[in-house]
Amino acid sequence: METVDVRVLLAPAISFACSGLVFLMGRNVFWRRFWSLGAATLKLVVVMSMLPGALRGTTYVWRFIEFTPGISIAFRADALGMFFATVSSTLWLVTTVFAIGYMEPEHAKVRFFGFFALCVSTTVGVAFAENLLTLFVFYETLTICTYPLVIHEETPEALRAGRKYLAYTLSGGACILLGSALTYQVAGTLTLSKPGILPASADPRTLAILFTTLVAGFGVKAAIIPLHGWLPSAMVAPTPVSALLHAVAVVKVGAFGILRVVYNVFGVELLRRLGFTVPLAYLAAFTIIAASVAALFQDNLKRRLAYSTVSQLSYIVLGAALLTPAAACAAVAHIANQAFAKITMFFVAGSIQRTTGKTQIHELAGIGHEMPLTMAAFTVASLSFVGVPLFAGFITKWYLSLGALESGMWWFAIVMLASSLLNAAYWLPIVYLAFFKGPHGRGTGSGEARLLLLVPTLLCAAWVLVLGTTSDVPGMPFALARAAVEFVFKM
Amino acid sequence: MWWQWAHWLPLAVLVPLGFGVTTPAVAGGDGGRAWRWAVLGSALAAATTLALVVRVAREGPFSYAFGGWNPPYGIEFRFDEVGAFAFVVASLGMLAIVFSGRYAEHALDPARIPYFYTLLLLDIAGLIGFSVTGDLFNMYVFMEIISLSSYALVAVSGERTAEMAAFKYLVLGAVSSLLVLFGIGMVYGTTGTLNLADAARRLGGVGSAVPVAVAIALMAAGFMVKSALFPLHVWLPDAHAIAPSPVSAVLSGLVVKVGLLGTFRLYQVVYRTGIVDLAALDQLFLWLGAISIVMGAFFAIFQDDIKMMLAYSTISNIGYIVMGFGLASKFALIGAAVHIFNHAIIKSALFLAAGAIIHQTGYRRLSELRGAGRGMPLTAAALSVGAVSIVGIPPTAGFLCKWYIALGAFEAGRAAFGFALVFGALFIFVYYIRMVNAFYFQEPVHADVVHAGDPPLSMLVPVWVLAGLCLAMGLAGKIPLTFITPAISRLLAPIGG
Repeated sequence: METVDVRVLLAPAISFACSGLVFLMGRNVFWRRFWSLGAATLKLVVVMSMLPGALRGTTYVWRFIEFTPGISIAFRADALGMFFATVSSTLWLVTTVFAIGYMEPEHAKVRFFGFFALCVSTTVGVAFAENLLTLFVFYETLTICTYPLVIHEETPEALRAGRKYLAYTLSGGACILLGSALTYQVAGTLTLSKPGILPASADPRTLAILFTTLVAGFGVKAAIIPLHGWLPSAMVAPTPVSALLHAVAVVKVGAFGILRVVYNVFGVELLRRLGFTVPLAYLAAFTIIAASVAALFQDNLKRRLAYSTVSQLSYIVLGAALLTPAAACAAVAHIANQAFAKITMFFVAGSIQRTTGKTQIHELAGIGHEMPLTMAAFTVASLSFVGVPLFAGFITKWYLSLGALESGMWWFAIVMLASSLLNAAYWLPIVYLAFFKGPHGRGTGSGEARLLLLVPTLLCAAWVLVLGTTSDVPGMPFALARAAVEFVFKM
Repeated sequence: MWWQWAHWLPLAVLVPLGFGVTTPAVAGGDGGRAWRWAVLGSALAAATTLALVVRVAREGPFSYAFGGWNPPYGIEFRFDEVGAFAFVVASLGMLAIVFSGRYAEHALDPARIPYFYTLLLLDIAGLIGFSVTGDLFNMYVFMEIISLSSYALVAVSGERTAEMAAFKYLVLGAVSSLLVLFGIGMVYGTTGTLNLADAARRLGGVGSAVPVAVAIALMAAGFMVKSALFPLHVWLPDAHAIAPSPVSAVLSGLVVKVGLLGTFRLYQVVYRTGIVDLAALDQLFLWLGAISIVMGAFFAIFQDDIKMMLAYSTISNIGYIVMGFGLASKFALIGAAVHIFNHAIIKSALFLAAGAIIHQTGYRRLSELRGAGRGMPLTAAALSVGAVSIVGIPPTAGFLCKWYIALGAFEAGRAAFGFALVFGALFIFVYYIRMVNAFYFQEPVHADVVHAGDPPLSMLVPVWVLAGLCLAMGLAGKIPLTFITPAISRLLAPIGG
């Protein structure tokens, strides 16, 4: 059931207005914080207020402006979009709190918080995009708005990373633009409100080009190997940026785009017949393993996180590529599962860096004695990545393995297993180092991070546990993921 | 209704012409008075052309026969959707003149200021006339008015480099005018008429296609020099970079479009006659357009002078439009036609913003302008909006052209050119990002740049009106697109339809 409701427009508009206010009044610390926190809260309330309706099966739509004849900038909150929007607006609030604490000694805070809000605005715009062109508009805007955040430090290294980031993501954007144009040529529409718009009668070669351009375009932000090169470099950004943008906004927009392409542009049936997703599944499996192996060799904590992100994102891609309901459930749910666990880890990395100045893993010996709560949160996130039951990551692994068996490609279940082992191999040593090794020489005596950093960290870690234990509770986000999957598979 | 009054059409040309000619007399040597007079003249021209645009949107194309002598015997002005460029000319011209007020005081010899406005108004009058004329010979006359005033405007500062640039421009411009004139002569020779619509009718009955083909080739070549399509672009970078900034805005945004508009008029004459197969010309336009996009971007990357960069960017954008012509499918032609308008807006925004920065700081090289974002936040922000728009990031005005020409490339079955266009645009981003980096993210070298401060309102307002339009024309892209579509449909309609 579709209802016209202005709240789908409000959700991105609130953060947009917030960024404007921050640019105007942000020189004053109070107003900067007031607008950032106020808008984040308001937006969360708006998105949450749509949640009960979305769970009942209502879809909210709002046509904003006709962009070119026949194609509007339009918003539509279906189950998949709601799921993504809920995750990103929840995390915006906690990250804003964290960022206020973290960024205190930094320069150019007006610019930082202004563009930060713009990024969230565009992310929700992507989540609620009713058609491919709207999605593309916000996708590209997100690229541009992230650039000032990535090069926030303004060092030559940051500028280099920024250039690399733009080169990758804008090329991806160009692919999406061409893919969208070709889709319009073939299908005559760009809407994302149906389970598949491309006609089955179209020329398979055209469809192959279409699939390649769109998946490659979104695959840049989803960091599928070999398109992942920008992500580890972009870690020069301040930690809250890495957290929100490289655990939630930017990379998830890519993964979300791939879900949209698979489920709403092509549709499951057509793709099953064409078989384009099989190579994609292999590529995703390769990415999962290869990025994990690369992560093993990183000593810089944030770089290890980056490679872990590359690996984890491909869970979503793999889930989409397997084309079975269980795998699709995993793909959608992993948007949240990965986001909360990864952001916890980024918060931990940021807290350690701000409190003790340490950024390398070998320096972390004994840190668990000084920052027990922070490192407890880290442990929770690690266990989630390893896929221990009761933690969020387990849900993904379980459904993804189920999906692999359902599709008859059982070897992907082995990939899941191998990935679990690799995750254990690169996360648990850090836990061991933190709690079971004494500090080299004397500890820094720094104690826990300040509350503005600690509270968001703990909240996110707690939520990882909630997500891991409530997948069957009605009204929880997982129900939304199921609703999305049911729509896509026409169940 | 007020917009139905028939005489708006000749007035649109006569008003700026009259104001231009009378400026030195009215000013009496006072630069300020000359400025006010010129602003008034261009504002009236904008209002007049607005009436024409309203009428064409409501009623479709219309004609004006001078002295009641009906075409093909009398002189005809004809206003169609593409002719709405006249409105863009008048409004952008007005903004450039408003901007010039403080700029000219600083940059020009006071004695020359009234003549400077005369030249600007003559340029505007010529451009409006060129957009609305229905007659080949008058097209040439207006083209010459535009060219001559443009040469003089490039040289107006009186510096030696400016004179050199103007001379180079003059030589190539004169050659291109001759080519066009020769082509017009051949059309007259074969058809016996100079009226565009009449020539289109009579060409169908011409015995031999050869003179027609030669005429088309000559005119197309001449027009492409005027538009600075690669490799005929050599005059453009110096002329556009050295001219005073408001002049650069007019030259780069409006004057180069003369060639494109002329080509469009030529298409209107020969497209449906079927006497000459235009496939070869389309191929040429496609390839030269694609090469222009890439070469323009390539040269721009190595520039340090901010206005030089913008000048080369014009070559790339002309490439977009010419490629759209070459694709010759409906979407591509619509995209190209709309980009003629949008590029005018975007490039004027960029040149005026750059001019304001140069005016305030006295520097024009990127390496010296580091930190300008801190010193002049509003101007630098406008320049960034323009940069984002010209690269074609949605939802700004520059995006529409990319989207439509990509659609058009697929429609025409020439997907490779769609790829060339979209990836060529990435190349363009490379140097605009250098500009943004220099303004915002690199350590300043000159302290006075950081303390420059935004320019006076008479400069800031035109800059921001244009920057706002860069956004608005993108978001409300439906309006220009639906406005221009009838003209393209008529062009592509089957013969006899």
